[in-house]
Amino acid sequence: MDIFEAIKNRRSIRHYKSDPIDDKVIQTVLEAAHWAPSWGNAQCWRFIVVRDKKIKSEVADTLFKVTVDNEKVENAAAGSMKQAPVLIVVCAETGKAGCNEEGVPVTNKGGYWFMFDIALAVQNLLLAAYAVGLGTVIVGGFDADKVAQILNMPKEYTVVTMTPLGVPDSKGQVSPRKKLSEVMYYEKFK
Amino acid sequence: MELFEAIKTRRSIRRYKTDPVDDKKIEAILEAGRWAPSWANTQCWRFVVVRDAKVRAKLVDTLMKIKLPDREIPNPAAAAMNTVPVIIVVCAKIGIAGAGHGSPGSKAQYVTDKGDWFMFDTALAVQNMVLAAHAQGLGTVIIGAFEATQVGKILSVPEGYRVVALFPVGMPDQEGKAPPRKELSEIAFKDKFGK
Ligand SMILES: Cc1cc2nc3c(=O)[nH]c(=O)nc-3n(C[C@H](O)[C@H](O)[C@H](O)COP(=O)(O)O)c2cc1C
Ligand SMILES: Cc1cc2nc3c(=O)[nH]c(=O)nc-3n(C[C@H](O)[C@H](O)[C@H](O)COP(=O)(O)O)c2cc1C
Repeated sequence: MDIFEAIKNRRSIRHYKSDPIDDKVIQTVLEAAHWAPSWGNAQCWRFIVVRDKKIKSEVADTLFKVTVDNEKVENAAAGSMKQAPVLIVVCAETGKAGCNEEGVPVTNKGGYWFMFDIALAVQNLLLAAYAVGLGTVIVGGFDADKVAQILNMPKEYTVVTMTPLGVPDSKGQVSPRKKLSEVMYYEKFK
Repeated sequence: MELFEAIKTRRSIRRYKTDPVDDKKIEAILEAGRWAPSWANTQCWRFVVVRDAKVRAKLVDTLMKIKLPDREIPNPAAAAMNTVPVIIVVCAKIGIAGAGHGSPGSKAQYVTDKGDWFMFDTALAVQNMVLAAHAQGLGTVIIGAFEATQVGKILSVPEGYRVVALFPVGMPDQEGKAPPRKELSEIAFKDKFGK
């Protein structure tokens, strides 16, 4: 698939078929993620491919409810995590991205560069999934400590995000973007 | 360019030709950034396109030196920043990514233990941009180690925004070599961590 087509037409998918996904395909998608650039080539990303139904539903139960108009509602992606055959949980090794060799942060972003590097890899993952006909939706609002416990994660790591991976059961709607002129400037921020 | 080819053959480029880069190509890069996903579609990213040689030189001065045990060396990307025609500086609006649907104007209520997700959302856009540059034959190298506050002053970035990262864009004057990646088995597990 042409790269610009993938970038423009990828959408967040919140309804999935239960069709199984080949290990090979998952490997292709993860390899794409792994080719992302990273701070000092530290590659702080770790991916946990969850197929086990029980673990998947335990993780789905950690999603926070969302408040809309003073009412608590389910996260729009909650159902999709149980529908899709695969859930990819993305974790980060902390103390590497944005830090010197002693693990001391060097910029005013502190240790938070792991968020940046993880997202570089995640974007590759989303694009690769789309190019092989699979849907994804990044999920951010969940209890990361609980997920860490469920997945036996050591304390040097933190859970950042996750996405279901599966065959889309409905097309994603385009969320309107700001105009380019609203997000870009020449020479100075005006 | 085919997506997987672009993903695999993109390299950080640290030597550039001085050939100009036309606005159309830069616009295609920014357009790719704009289509990234973001927390509740909040699109906190803002891009500043710097071509002015004087401004570029000021940006180079903000790069941090790298401390080795016995001496300090310049950032390996520093020389490149002086010769490229364009530098794109990525900024972020604070208080929207990672925040709940609060009433407008109220103090941001962050939902997760990660606080503001601006680092995450800007990087989604940056990855689209470096791929879009590469697909048009242009090189980039993401730079993180610079004095962000100083860059904010140079570019008049207003309060409520932060400078996150920057990258030069130009015609590569080298074949980037791929730094080795860990084995997939070191970074991908089944059902539980480490398995
Ligand atoms: C957040 C971030 C900051 C980086 N900062 C620098 C930098 O200051 N100087 C530099 O030469 N390269 C920098 N890089 C480039 C990395 O060294 C490079 O991505 C990594 O070695 C992998 O090589 P590749 O991009 O060719 O695949 C940075 C990359 C990232 C993602
Ligand atoms: C950091 C992050 C967190 C997100 N969290 C959720 C989520 O919890 N639930 C959900 O349904 N969508 C989530 N999304 C998807 C966004 O709503 C979506 O990317 C945005 O509306 C743009 O739509 P598009 O991805 O179809 O282009 C998240 C996206 C990002 C980048």
